[in-house]
Amino acid sequence: MRTLLLLFCCFFSIALHAQAEADKLLGLWEPSNGKARVKVEKIGAKYFGKIVWLREPNDPQTNQPKVDKNNPDESLRNTPLKGYRILKDFVYSGKGEWTDGVIYDPENGSTYSCVIKMKDDNTLDIRGYIGVKALGRTDVWKRMQVTGK
Amino acid sequence: MKRGILSLIWAAAWLPAPALSAQTPDTLPPAASDEDYSQYEQVQFADDGARSYCYPKILDLAPQRFVSIGWDAQALYRMQSSALGEYQGDDDPAVAEESDVRYTGGLRLTANVPVVSRNSVVWQVGANYWDVRYDLNPVFALSESAGLHARLADRGLRTLGLNTTVFKPLDAKQFLYVQAGADLNGDYTFSDFQPLRYLRYSAAVVWGKRPSDYKQWGIGLSRTYRVGELNYLPVLLFNWTSPNRKWGVETLLPARAHVRRTFSPRSLMLAGFELEGQSYRIEALSDGDNSFEIRRSELRIRLEYQRQIAGFFWVSAQTGLRNDWRFHGDELEGGRDFFRGFFGDQPYAMLNNLGNALYLNIGVHLVSP
Repeated sequence: MRTLLLLFCCFFSIALHAQAEADKLLGLWEPSNGKARVKVEKIGAKYFGKIVWLREPNDPQTNQPKVDKNNPDESLRNTPLKGYRILKDFVYSGKGEWTDGVIYDPENGSTYSCVIKMKDDNTLDIRGYIGVKALGRTDVWKRMQVTGK
Repeated sequence: MKRGILSLIWAAAWLPAPALSAQTPDTLPPAASDEDYSQYEQVQFADDGARSYCYPKILDLAPQRFVSIGWDAQALYRMQSSALGEYQGDDDPAVAEESDVRYTGGLRLTANVPVVSRNSVVWQVGANYWDVRYDLNPVFALSESAGLHARLADRGLRTLGLNTTVFKPLDAKQFLYVQAGADLNGDYTFSDFQPLRYLRYSAAVVWGKRPSDYKQWGIGLSRTYRVGELNYLPVLLFNWTSPNRKWGVETLLPARAHVRRTFSPRSLMLAGFELEGQSYRIEALSDGDNSFEIRRSELRIRLEYQRQIAGFFWVSAQTGLRNDWRFHGDELEGGRDFFRGFFGDQPYAMLNNLGNALYLNIGVHLVSP
């Protein structure tokens, strides 16, 4: 009975540790171009990232808040970019990697396969690719801390 | 043959599309907007090691191509050649051989694969294969003619090249761009391959600035065969997109310059020119270790339409005037190239004159993120 309890504690501890590792992705991140900030959230068992800040929040053409005007789906072209989920469906696959997700580029309306790798607690390698990982580009995102209003 | 190539290009556009599509169904709609986003305005980096680098491109540039399959064809023109001899470029020797060229063209394959693609450096390696076939109708050939036309009709010209490019951002605004390439050009076939000592090397270094997402410029120096023969030329890079993102300029002089009209993120038109050139060894006219090389350079004044067809596959159709810049022949002693520049007086071994021709170029491309 004592052995069983010990085993249960071990498994529980490992599961908690894995969960804590996976949740390291949560938080606020800034892509290398500094044009946006993305907040990563967990919904169910998957991770999503939405735009929460834009360096240029208004469209210079309309002077209205930017919308997803390049989306290939016409019905989404009036969706505000602020709040838009550009990282979708990521699952933690261990060793600091989140896979099976996609990243959306509002600049051109393209969606790419994507893998996220955590280099350290405050740095992500975000690789968007086409079909195979070799045909892609890696962007480095840095973790941001909210300092308050 | 031409119909077969066209079918191949069309089929290639569709066959791999499902496997390469990155689209997946959205599991959630866009996020609700009841959050107070103002809290994300006052932030700081969680560590102090963050460094910004400038991005290689600006907004709305014509997409960079990973893989391209294309076909190029020129319409009817007349080709005139002198006998072998010693000529200055502005001489007007007697025509020893004259032909009506009914078809000039062939397959063009290019590939560029990123080896490293990060914020701090982008390194790509590429390869290209161009095949140029000639179908010509001889008008006359004097006994002293070198037989170049028959050789072109029999073997055509080929280019097989490797190149590498490195984009190195120096900081958030400045960058360095380095390119180097080696090309094997000639009338060889794969069963009668050309020795690698006839490789021709080109290179370019550009330093530039990217002050905004709408503009980048740079200056540099190149060792190039764009003018047909070896030359060292300054390079000017200038890319610009208008604030309304409908118009733009894409310039890398002396190689090319275009005005761009963007219809949507998925279609655009380019109008401008490109200078194409290489030095092609003609085996049959090369004496011993010497290399007889055709210094081919042509200015293509053109209009090009590009559009997305599916996922990351784009098609392009290009048409315009192919202007003969140079098609003269040089005898290179021991196969070693030399620098004539614009003012050198080394004689040509053959002077050729090509009429200008309309041309068409179509292609299917897998484009980069």
